[in-house]
This record gives sequence, structure tokens and C-alpha cells, in this order.
Amino acid sequence: MNMKNMKNYKRYLPLWILGIIGVLTVVFLYLNNRGNENETYHIIYIPKIIDETSDFWTALIEGVEMAAAEYGMELTVVAPETEEDVERQNELIQWAIEQQPDALLLSPCSYTETTPYARRVVEAGIPLVLIDSALDEELAVSCVATDNIRMGRVEGDFMKQFVAGDAQIAIIGHMKTTSTAIEREAGIREGLAEYEEKIVDVVFCDSDYDKAYELMVELIERYPDIELVAGTNEYSAVGAARAIKDLNLGGQIKVVGIDSSLEQIQLLEEGIFEGIVIQNPFKMGYLGAEAAAKVLRGEDVAPIVDSGCELITREDVYTEENQKLLFPFKEE
Amino acid sequence: MIFWFSLLIVIALLIFSLISIRYTENTVMENSMEYTLQIIGQVNRDIDYYIGYMENISAMMTESGDVQRYLFADMEEDEREVLERRIITQFDTVIKTRQDISNIAVVSSRERYIINNGADRLNENIAMNEVDWYMDALRRTNHRLTASHVQHVIRNNYKWVITLGKGILNPDSGFKEAVFFIDLNYKLIKDLCENNSLATNSYVFIIDEQGKIIYHPQQQLLYSGLKEEKIAEVLDCPTNYFVTDEGQASRLYTISASEKTGWLTVGVVSLSELMKNRRETQNIYIFTAAALLLFTVLLATFWARAITRPIKELKDSMKAVEKGNFGEAGVSPRADNEIGSLSNSFNLMTVRIQQLMEQNTYVQEEKRKSELKALRSQINPHFLYNTLDSIIWMAEGGKNTEVVRMTAALARLLRQSIGHENDRVTLEQEIAHARSYLIIQQMRYQDKLEYEIRMDESLRDEEVISLILQPLVENAIYHGIKYKGSKGLVTITVAGQEDHLILKVADNGKGMDAETLQHIFEKSQRNDQNNGVGVYNVHTRVQLYYGMEYGLRFESELGSGTTAIITIPRARQAGTSGDNENEHEEHEEL
Repeated sequence: MNMKNMKNYKRYLPLWILGIIGVLTVVFLYLNNRGNENETYHIIYIPKIIDETSDFWTALIEGVEMAAAEYGMELTVVAPETEEDVERQNELIQWAIEQQPDALLLSPCSYTETTPYARRVVEAGIPLVLIDSALDEELAVSCVATDNIRMGRVEGDFMKQFVAGDAQIAIIGHMKTTSTAIEREAGIREGLAEYEEKIVDVVFCDSDYDKAYELMVELIERYPDIELVAGTNEYSAVGAARAIKDLNLGGQIKVVGIDSSLEQIQLLEEGIFEGIVIQNPFKMGYLGAEAAAKVLRGEDVAPIVDSGCELITREDVYTEENQKLLFPFKEE
Repeated sequence: MIFWFSLLIVIALLIFSLISIRYTENTVMENSMEYTLQIIGQVNRDIDYYIGYMENISAMMTESGDVQRYLFADMEEDEREVLERRIITQFDTVIKTRQDISNIAVVSSRERYIINNGADRLNENIAMNEVDWYMDALRRTNHRLTASHVQHVIRNNYKWVITLGKGILNPDSGFKEAVFFIDLNYKLIKDLCENNSLATNSYVFIIDEQGKIIYHPQQQLLYSGLKEEKIAEVLDCPTNYFVTDEGQASRLYTISASEKTGWLTVGVVSLSELMKNRRETQNIYIFTAAALLLFTVLLATFWARAITRPIKELKDSMKAVEKGNFGEAGVSPRADNEIGSLSNSFNLMTVRIQQLMEQNTYVQEEKRKSELKALRSQINPHFLYNTLDSIIWMAEGGKNTEVVRMTAALARLLRQSIGHENDRVTLEQEIAHARSYLIIQQMRYQDKLEYEIRMDESLRDEEVISLILQPLVENAIYHGIKYKGSKGLVTITVAGQEDHLILKVADNGKGMDAETLQHIFEKSQRNDQNNGVGVYNVHTRVQLYYGMEYGLRFESELGSGTTAIITIPRARQAGTSGDNENEHEEHEEL
């Protein structure tokens, strides 16, 4: 280094120092203030229906909303008018793909007919999370639902205590081809175990209270010794219970149901139902949206998540725990 | 220097900032905790006030004569209906004015009851004597407050509420036989818990003594088992706060217990939220430190310059003095500080040195002058005696012409030797002097000596110091020609070069060997025969007068003669050798 450079170097030394201090300060402030600003994800949920009279769907959507808020995700919910409108739901899936959400939550109306559209979602690179119901193909990153076989097993197992002598058992299913009905029936049979042979008939009400009511009346006529009836969803169970109540056969013919509604709870209080096995729709919705959030954050999610079920009997309706399960908490 | 200075400042500031930040962190933390505790305390008091207000309503109803008579007195149905309507009107007023009340009811154990506007029925599937809070209210003297629960005693109701119940005394039996209760929804409690000035990302929840939830912003999540609250920790906490150990997500729990209700109001603030304040403080400290650093470094630079500039000036000045350049040595006077007095001392010193040097030069000059004077040749008395002896011989021999000639030459020689006040003569005069001497010697040595003088006529007026040729001629005769057997020749040549003159005195005498030549200027070689003004004398005078680079040198070969060569500067005014050196130095410096 010659004299001149040395001199220049020395002359600009303070500037160098200032520059270094400045850079260090900025770097430090940057590191110090680098918060955890997360990207806001946009997700779409397509349930089978948005029905404010349905406690199940209301609680489920509430759960999805709660998780979305919790994980800072923007949520849009769209649904067909009825649970059976597979075509409309498929249209909505197509629409959702065009919105390019970060993730899609779906409660498929059909086990088979929804599948091609669900495939399109996956092909569009959108993570798919199934809530409540599954598809005949494994497309989703996660499926959050009640384990229906287990649910049926709980119901069947509970029914065993009421079986005596030559008692006859009937099952009122909700839909012959629906996976939930098939699985729950299988579960009930499993739960009944040695008493399975006492099942004299399985009928389907097509998720209609009145049809279930009629079927119940018919069953009583056809099988006079019937003592135990199992419903596989709210419609079938309530329809059957109504018939029993109207015929004043409460206590003589015991009814066990699935799902909860205000009417079901009252029927339980009245003693028409011996017990009901309830799902946890709020939890289901919450876990579904949570799974989506986890996928978007690159965390691991289980392919199948059981949101659980709970048996509520007449005696323990108002225990603290069961209150929490039966009645979704509302602030007013 | 600035670098180390800056480093010192940086380290000092760093230590200061770190200590400040640490201290501030603690203060901020304490303040935040204090602040949160205050807010939670306030929420707690608000809730107490709220419950107190409800208790007042309850007291009003339970003490009411109408209610007591309606419940317990025996009377006609008409009369009871009138009472019922009055009570319903009261209930209605309360329900309509208070959004936070879901149900208001009075229920007797005898199944006589009024709920809200009278239209609501009891749930016939529920036996009142199996309802905990109802039975509890009957047993207690004061109010019974439940945690959050589903109100299932009213048909088709099933709302999540907090129930405030109070037993009503039957004045006839002296027992409590009915219960008045108000079901509170969460409107107001939620407001009280949420509308406070706690940091964002914080929340307030309330639990009762058993840890059952009264209100929690995520009640449903807790009920579904999707979230957990640190209720056990709150109940076990011996102080009024604790901090969870969750790393980045650590939270501060502050607890305020109500003596009235036994409820615990709990505020939860994430530490990172509190850190936000800390981070701001940190930023302020760092900004301040950076700004101070900037300022001090600039100031340090300025000051360092102010200190180093005079020192540098002093250094430059010293360099100049080192080279003897006193003209540039002055340092501008400074302020009255150490550097200033140093500068002044230096100035004084240089002036003093300059004076001493000038004095020294003067003394040297004087010394040289006197030396020159002393060196000026006088006529050798031997020579004078010999010459006069020769004249006598010639006069006795009647050689008048020769006598006249020699006497004339001697007279000229003497005149030239003594006649000049000035040291300097023209070349012509100097040659004439040498010639006079040669004439005398030629006459003395008869046929043994011949001479030749060659000079460019244009050099006639060049000035030289006097008496430089004659001693050389004398030397040539006595040391060269004298020992030569045959006739000798002395040649004087004066040649002018561009800036100096070359004067040569050559003889064809016996010459000198190398050793003699080497010792030619040594004083021991001086020889009295050589009239004292010898070769050395000439050399010294030339050098004294013209400078060290000039002088006399010899070229000689044994057997073939010697040439003495004088080199002197041409057409130059005499100057001091010191000046010459100075000039030379100046050139170097530039």
C-alpha cells in the first residue's frame, strides 16, 4: 500500500466506521422486528347443506369458522340447498377450483358421484380435506369424520343390556346405499355380538321423519314381540321415537338413536330414548379446518381423523360433561 | 487513532445500551404485569358490581310481599291471578330492560311458579329436587351462583347461562320453600372481559372456586376438548400471577379473586405481546446509541484533526529544520495549550539556531579571510638574495642590458607581489607576474630554462585570485627542470571552458613517481627552499576561495615531466562555500 492510498484509507476511516455502524443497526432492527407475520390463507368449505335448523351442520360450520379464525385463515362457505343435490355441489366444487383457494374443505354429498370433481380439485393442486363423509377414492390429504363403525358399535353395545329372552330387534337405517348407514349398521351388529341374530329386520327411511314413523308402525304390526329399535341417524331415530311415543309404547319398546337434536334430547328426557350416540360436529369442523391449516403450514396431518362419538343415556343427560357435548355453547 | 477512539465509544455505548435494555426490560415487564393486574382487578370489580346489581334485583324480588304471598299464602284463584300479573309485569320490565338476562323466575317447591312472562313452563321431565343449584339455593342464606351450565329446568329452553338463585322464606313455616333465580347470559360478562385495554392477543376468562368455567372466550373449544386452559395452575397458583413455560409462546397469567363471588378473573397476555413494548424500547435505545455514535465519531474526527494538524505542522517544520531550511521553519502561533507552547518553543529554538548558524558562517568567513591573507605569498628572501646576487654579478661583468632587464623584471615581480590590495587580479596580470618570475629565472639559469605561455586573448580579463601560477612555475623549476640534465621547458596554458578555467603549468623535467604524487599536498613536503608558499598553499587558497570542488591536481610521469592543473570557476563573483551548499540543498529539496 503506498503512501497515498494509506492516506485516503485513513481519511475515510470514520466514514467506514459510520457505514458499518449504520448497516449493523439496520440489520439488528430488521432482525429484532421480524415478527411472525403469517401469510393469510384463503380456504373454501363446501358442506352438504347450510341449514340453520340443523344443529349438526350449524355446529360443524361453527367449528370450521372457529378454526379458521384461530389459524388466521379467510373462509368462504358455500353449499347446495339440499343434502341430496349432488349436481349443485359439484358445480360449486368447480366454482371453488376457479377461485384458486389455498385449500378446499368438502363434505361430499355422494360417496361416488362427487369423486370426479374432487379429483379435479386435487389435479388443480389444491389440498383437499374431507369433513364428515368420505369418497370412494383416496384423494384427500385428510379426512375428518366420525368413525361410523365405532359409533354403531357403541350403540349396539349399549343395546345389549336391554335384550332379554326372545326379544326382537329392528334397525331403521337412513339410506340403503350410503356409507354411513352401511357402516353404522355393521357397527351395531358388531356391538350386539351374540345378540346379533335377534335382529329381525332392517328397513330404510331415506332420511325422512315421516317415513321412519310409518316404518316403525309397520314394524310393530309385523313383529309384535319387537322390544328394541335402533336408528342410524336423527331422521330414523326420531321418526321411530315419535311413533313409539304416539302409540304410548314408551318403556315397552326401547329406542336407541344416533345424533342429537332438541327433540331427541326431549325424547331422551321423556324416556322414549334409552340412549343416544352423538357425534361431535363442532370438533369435526374444527379439526377439518385445522388439518387444512396444518397442511398449508407444511405440518404433518393424519390421513384419517376420528372426531369421536359419545353415548348419552337418560340418566346422565345433565352431567357437566354431557351438557358440553349435547349443547353447543352459545353466548346468548 | 480515530479507529481506536471509535472502538472505545462503541464499546462504551454497547455496554451502556445492554445494561439499559436489561434494566428497561425488567421495568417494562414489571410495569406490564402491574398494568395487567390492575386491569384484571378492575374487570373483577366490574363483575362484582354486576353480580351485586343482580343480587339487588334478586333481593327486591325475594323480599317482595307480592311474591311471598303469591307463593305461600292461601287465597282465591282470582286474587292469585292478580298477584301473578303484578309479578309478571315486574319480570317483564326487568327482561325488557336487561338484555343480559335470559330468564327470570320464581319457583316454589310446591310447583307454583312464574317464569319470564308467565308463558314459559317448567320442563316436566326434570324433578326440581334433583337440580343441584335449586336445592343449594334453598339451603343457603345467601345467593347461589352457578358456573356456566345449560338451563334445562325450563321447557324448550336449554340455554347456556349463569344462574343466580336465592331461596325464599315461607314466613308461615319458617323454611325456604321457593327459589327466585335469574339466568344471566354472557352479553355483559363478555363485554366486561373483552372491552378492556389489555394488549391484543390477550384474553380474560373467569372460573369459579372449583375451576368450573364462568366465561371463557373459547368456551366451546374448551368444551369440545380442542383446547385446554391452565385451570389447575390458576387454582394452585399461590400468588396473583404466573408465567407459563412455553418458549416463544409463553404467557403471563394474572389472577384476581373476588371475595364476593369467589370467582377468579384471569387475564392471559402473551409475553411476546409484552415484548412488543420491550422491542420498541430496544429500538429506541439502539437508535439513540447509533445517533450518539454518529455524533461522537464525527466529533472525535473533528477533535483528532484539531489535535493532529498542529502536530503535523510541527513535524513538517522540524523536517525543514533538519534539512537546514530555516526559511520554512516558522510554525503559526497556536492557542494557549500544550501544542501552542510547544510550537512557540520550537519557533524560538529555530530562530536561535538560525542566529547561531549565521554567526558561525560569519566567523568562518573571517577566519578564511585571515587565512587567505596569511597565505598570500611574499617574495622568498633566498630568491631575492639570489637574484640580487645575480644582478651584482652581471653589473660587475658590465652586462648592463641584462642588469636592466633583470632588475626591471624583479621590480615588476615585487610590485605585483605587494601591490595588490585586492586578492583578485586579471589573468593578464597573473600571467605577467609569472612571466616576470620566469624571466628572472631564465636569466639566472642561462640556457637551462625555456618557457612558453599560451593563452587565448579573450581570457585576458578573466579574474582569478592572485599568486597561483608563480608558485607552480617555481615548483616546476626546482623539482622538475633543476634535476634535468638538459634544457628544460615550462609551458603555461590557460584554457577557457564553458563555466570554468583550466590553468596548466607543465614541465618536461624529471617527473614524479606515483607515491610522490600522492603525497604532494602533505605539509611535510613543504620545503623551505620553496619559499613557503608552496603547492599546498595554492591548492588551499583555491579551495578556500572557490569551493571544495575546485583546486589543484597533478599529472606526472617519472622521466617525462609533470603538469599541474588548476581548475577554477569562470566569471564568477566570489561567494561563500556555505551559500553554495545551501543552494545545492534547496535543489535537492525541491
